[in-house]
Amino acid sequence: MSEAALAGPAVTGDHGKLWVDDDVDLAEWYLAQPWSDGLPVVTPTPEKVAAVVQVLGGEPQRLECRVPPRMGNLTREVLAINIVLAGAKPEYAPVIRAALLAMAQPQLNLNALQASTHMAAPLVIVNGPIRRQIGMNAGCNLFGPGNRANATIGRAIRLVMLSVGGGIAGELDKATLGHPGKYTYCIAENEEESPWAPYHVENGYAPEDSTVFVIPAEAPHSVTNHVANDPQGILDSMVSAMSTIASNTAVAGGACAVVLGIEHAKMIAAHGWKRADVRSYLWSNAGNTFGALSFNHRYGKVYNRSLPKWITRERDSKVPIVARPEDIHLFVAGGAAGRFSAFIPGWGNYAAPVLRAIDDARATTANCNDGTCSL
Amino acid sequence: MTQRVFDPCGVAEASAKPRAPRLESLEGRRLAVLDNTKWNGGKLLDALVDQLSRDIRFSHVNRYKKETFTKPAAPELMREIAANNDVAVIAIAD
Repeated sequence: MSEAALAGPAVTGDHGKLWVDDDVDLAEWYLAQPWSDGLPVVTPTPEKVAAVVQVLGGEPQRLECRVPPRMGNLTREVLAINIVLAGAKPEYAPVIRAALLAMAQPQLNLNALQASTHMAAPLVIVNGPIRRQIGMNAGCNLFGPGNRANATIGRAIRLVMLSVGGGIAGELDKATLGHPGKYTYCIAENEEESPWAPYHVENGYAPEDSTVFVIPAEAPHSVTNHVANDPQGILDSMVSAMSTIASNTAVAGGACAVVLGIEHAKMIAAHGWKRADVRSYLWSNAGNTFGALSFNHRYGKVYNRSLPKWITRERDSKVPIVARPEDIHLFVAGGAAGRFSAFIPGWGNYAAPVLRAIDDARATTANCNDGTCSL
Repeated sequence: MTQRVFDPCGVAEASAKPRAPRLESLEGRRLAVLDNTKWNGGKLLDALVDQLSRDIRFSHVNRYKKETFTKPAAPELMREIAANNDVAVIAIAD
């Protein structure tokens, strides 16, 4: 039997419900839909969808947000269908909703992100107690496979971008290459092993609050340093990874993420360095010269025209990797062993990342001073 | 017998907007050129204006620039272009 016959056409019945013949293979039917991510899905049932809607607060027709560029209505029922399809458990739903509401903020510029020829995908980083409650992986191989929460939270977000947002490859998603994080791209900070206060606490939330941080991002780039026993040496490897002229962060600024592995973070902290020290060191040392970024005008006066005004347009002028130290978003994560960290370039200054509470918590003024936070 | 399937796409509410009427001739018209600020957008527009100007005598060629290529032009800029021009060309280039 052909794939098309296995998939079969759907007929709309009462109340807009869709039906297919009994002999249609549902796995093949869902894989044949234009919004498919190319992987098999969990077949939704009315009971499974209702269970997710209940966790979201009931009211299946309630509009959560519109998802660009298609501007489809993300109702709770539609969100629940995507969550079931992704294989996510109902208890993951508040994290997925919070990430999508963060992505709906204008400063994230999801309309252009979805359509961009660049490869960026929204990276979601979760903080707070919900990480443990739903069993997220903040440790060994956290960017890789093996954890249902990490994998299916990111997948559900991508399915919404495909289905409700219409970001289908070649149609509204014009990415030249894309990257594997466009299947799923969700991790949690390893707050238990971090020598510093969690990211969300540094940004004004209480430790008992749970948050999502969303940043349009390229794939992680490994930063290997098995040699240095001081902060400068470890961070010089990070500076090297950051200072390429090729990433969108190098070319167009904006924001980026740095994930310090546990061994690197503990080594740096053992020397008394705080989060702010790390950011400041990276900001002071990472970057390029204007000459390098403009190819010394070998191709005419062509360069990023949104370069901050305060940067002198001269060959030897230093261009920091991002405009401000706080545009380097620092997290601690990963397994206990291994002297590895990661640099994650962003998309450029076309968007700003968003930090948002998963429940109704509100950020207050951070009880932090120069990177030292009171818990 | 049938079985139920679920559509995850949701409804997209849209209203059709008519296109502006097409011009029969560009001769003597006011041409707007909107630079989207992409790296080579300005170059593309310069080449296009040069080429068009070989065959067409525009009464004016007015140049404009967007704040960023990742967002639509500001409403006031679009109003200004519409008020002072007959035809507009925008750049898409990397």
